[in-house]
Amino acid sequence: MGEGKRYRMRQNNIRNFSIIAHIDHGKSTLADRILEQTGLISQRDMKEQFLDNMDIERERGITIKLQTTRLVYKAKDGQEYIFNLIDTPGHVDFNYEVSRSLAACEGALLIVDATQGVEAQTLANAYLALEEDLEIVPVINKIDLSSARPDEVKKEIEDILGIEAENAPLISAKEGINIEDVLEAVVQRIPAPSGNTDESLKALIFDSYYDNYKGVVVYTRIFDGTIKKGDRIKMMASKKNYEVTETGVFAPFPTPVSSLKAGDVGYITASIKQVADARVGDTITGAEHPTEKPLPGYKKVIPMVYCGIYPAEGEKYENVKDALEKLQVNDAAFVFEPETSTALGFGFRCGFLGLLHMEIIQERLEREFDLGIITTSPSVIYKVVKTDGAVEMIQNPSNLPSVQQIDYMEEPIVEADIMVPNEYVGNIMELCQERRGVMKHMEYLDANRVVLHYDMPLNEVIYDFFDALKSKTRGYGSLDYDLKGYERSRLVKLDILLNKEPVDAFSMIVHESKAQYRGKFVCEKLKEVIPRHMFAVPIQASVGAKIIARETVKPLRKDVLSKCYGGDISRKKKLLEKQKEGKKRMRQFGEVEVPQEAFTAVLKYDEKK
Amino acid sequence: MKPLGLYVHFPFCIKKCHYCDFLSFEKISYEIIADYCNAVIKEIEKRKQDLNDYTVDTIFLGGGTPSLIPEESLEKIIVSIYNNFHIANDIEFTIESNPKTLSKEKLDFFLSSGINRISMGVQALDDTLLNFIGRVHSVQDFYKNYYEAREAGFRNINTDLIFAIPNQSMKKWQDTMEGIIELKPEHISFYSLKYEEGTPFYERYSSGEWTENDEEDRNMYWHAVNKLRRKGYIHYEISNAAVPGYECRHNLKYWSMEEYLGIGLGAHSYLRNLRFSNERDLNKYIQNANNMEDNRIWIYQNKIKDDISEFIFTGLRKRKGICLNDFNERFKGSIEQFFPKEIDNLLSGNWIEIKENQMMLTDRGVDVSNSIMSKFIIL
Repeated sequence: MGEGKRYRMRQNNIRNFSIIAHIDHGKSTLADRILEQTGLISQRDMKEQFLDNMDIERERGITIKLQTTRLVYKAKDGQEYIFNLIDTPGHVDFNYEVSRSLAACEGALLIVDATQGVEAQTLANAYLALEEDLEIVPVINKIDLSSARPDEVKKEIEDILGIEAENAPLISAKEGINIEDVLEAVVQRIPAPSGNTDESLKALIFDSYYDNYKGVVVYTRIFDGTIKKGDRIKMMASKKNYEVTETGVFAPFPTPVSSLKAGDVGYITASIKQVADARVGDTITGAEHPTEKPLPGYKKVIPMVYCGIYPAEGEKYENVKDALEKLQVNDAAFVFEPETSTALGFGFRCGFLGLLHMEIIQERLEREFDLGIITTSPSVIYKVVKTDGAVEMIQNPSNLPSVQQIDYMEEPIVEADIMVPNEYVGNIMELCQERRGVMKHMEYLDANRVVLHYDMPLNEVIYDFFDALKSKTRGYGSLDYDLKGYERSRLVKLDILLNKEPVDAFSMIVHESKAQYRGKFVCEKLKEVIPRHMFAVPIQASVGAKIIARETVKPLRKDVLSKCYGGDISRKKKLLEKQKEGKKRMRQFGEVEVPQEAFTAVLKYDEKK
Repeated sequence: MKPLGLYVHFPFCIKKCHYCDFLSFEKISYEIIADYCNAVIKEIEKRKQDLNDYTVDTIFLGGGTPSLIPEESLEKIIVSIYNNFHIANDIEFTIESNPKTLSKEKLDFFLSSGINRISMGVQALDDTLLNFIGRVHSVQDFYKNYYEAREAGFRNINTDLIFAIPNQSMKKWQDTMEGIIELKPEHISFYSLKYEEGTPFYERYSSGEWTENDEEDRNMYWHAVNKLRRKGYIHYEISNAAVPGYECRHNLKYWSMEEYLGIGLGAHSYLRNLRFSNERDLNKYIQNANNMEDNRIWIYQNKIKDDISEFIFTGLRKRKGICLNDFNERFKGSIEQFFPKEIDNLLSGNWIEIKENQMMLTDRGVDVSNSIMSKFIIL
């Protein structure tokens, strides 16, 4: 058999696919079962949810970084198939990454929880997969639960998504029931990749990570041509050239192979210094014989949410900087630059895809890098049109020009799709109205579930909207949003004053109509977390010179220890040391000591308020 | 010869009070008490050799309830102290006692043993309150013992009082103060009730049965201070007042970074720049002592920063405060050099004052003294 023919036979036996699902519908568990069943990983060696390899991912049960695995499956037809399973991130913040990894596939397994049915992200992900023209194979999971209703869920999939679900495998990923049906469906229903090895190289970057020894490891899907060690390649968007140092596949750990050919999924390394040089969505081609047109769909991801990150008391600026640099090497969507705050000193203004992305970076700084950090109120990017006609994009409230210099301001608006059970529609409409949402339309998915389509200012979404949504729907509500554009808005800068001194780290830009509410909320929250001082501490919220809310932390009335018995000075000393240490962990603003948690407390949703 | 305070701990009570978290046991057999007293003597003998250059000028028998100790055991201990240490002629020798555990004979014995000061835990002149906080004695028991002590010849008596007890009205506290001052004790201690972890009162407090009323607490405190001042007592320490000349010299050592040796279960010492404390397990303590083994479980060599912090925070417990010349001499620098910002803020806030080379808390500073003291802690 000739080389080419052998390869085509091999190409026919490749299946590139993703698993997509709403959060908690069992995506990672199914991936684990597939890995186990194809013998790639023994049960004993497997950490629960192998593909989610960050601790935070495992704890939150979501996937942030993609994982890709090549497995070999011996099908009932007696042939061996190569499965390239491309895992996708499971959150709205990472939609673009999801769409690129789907672009690397021919098909997708759509997991739907047999007890929950179709949910917001089921829809959003299915649409993404349809946009990429993928063959969608519905899989109904959790059939072992007594509340499972597979027939109804099948009907939902057909009615809502318009996807044939009659033959959908009914499985329990957790219990390992009917996993083989899934594997057979992959073989039979997902098409083999097309593409020609003789044409110029055309490969899609769908993810990357930074390795200390090899540089950036690029996850790629080859559409046309061949790539091997020593090839000169070119990134078509970033226009940078490299020489390939290694090609390989994930089996599941990176394993070098001599080449990757059309239809293959694997990785390349090429001494690339940071992930921003190998952007997700970019097309790799040969430097000498480049392809004419790049693959469609490339876009540079832009941060939507910003906040300040500062070293906490006792933490070094340099340590935070090093950690942020390390994170950035691995995360092209994360940006930062130095800034200073009068309250917090030297720190960084950081940009994120969304709130979850922000929380994840914060958590990684704290856990992986063991850093003490303070985060300021998140902000979106406002467009400020000045009286002289100049336009400024502002993401730090402190940089807002003075009122006299501003002609008008615009704020980002998102299209939000909120899926809720029928009974909570009233609650959510109320919530959205509170958050300045404008309802576009409302869709009944079935007798029980409704999708509400709202246009909503992003700055109303980033504080605590998601928490409020969850709380008001007993966890059943789900949210998906996309940037729509900018709209003119009456915005003001809300300042918080402690003991009559403004603390810039608490400043935020809010809609005029929300200033009073926000100001009161922050003052009340701060009153709860700021300990009593030897003097009364006024907490005020102001817009310009006008005070719009005030609370007072009453002074300490009694802080005196009476008995010291039998000369046990050490006990008293320990108490005083504890008191002092407590203060050390606080931020000092003038004479006022503010605990670190105050910065997050003012952002948290509070059901009582 | 250097002066030394000697503390001996007796961890036994008839019954633990509901608020008490001191190291003390109730319902203990006389055999164990006798064993314990022998162990104490062993510890005294063991310490003897490193104390040749010291003269003991204060002794404090504390507890627990030292007045419970059988005469025979107590005598052996006192004899052992006299035999093993140099004793100053003008010694202040205190025994703590609880009403109902005293008798004319016992008081005579105390005096004849050299004990010249007696401290009585009366706590309140109200039987309902005494019962409520778990005391075993009545107001009447106290009066009887108090007069007996006077008759026996005690010229230096302290009474311990507690205020801010749940359901204790201001009126009741005023009555207690009035009644005590009428007796003209030389010394009065007054402590506000604290809910200490591990006590029955703490359980009730944390279950929400009572809340702390800081306002009432401070009102009661200042009522006592003002009344005592009017009656000629010197408010010489946050929780203590005395007729001039009767300040407790032993307790003042604690607040003045002077040396003291603690003997007995869980006792604390400050000696030759070391702070150390003893075993807290009764059986282990007795066993170790019998084997002539060291009973210290914690020894810490004070660093300069510890000395500075302790000198200030203990010194501020005294109303006349700390002597700034002493500070300069001890630490080769002024307190303002060490704590410029703190002193400045505290002075301008009228939390502390400096006069005639003494730095002290103001009255309003007393109420938040922990906050003030913690500013002088060097971590």
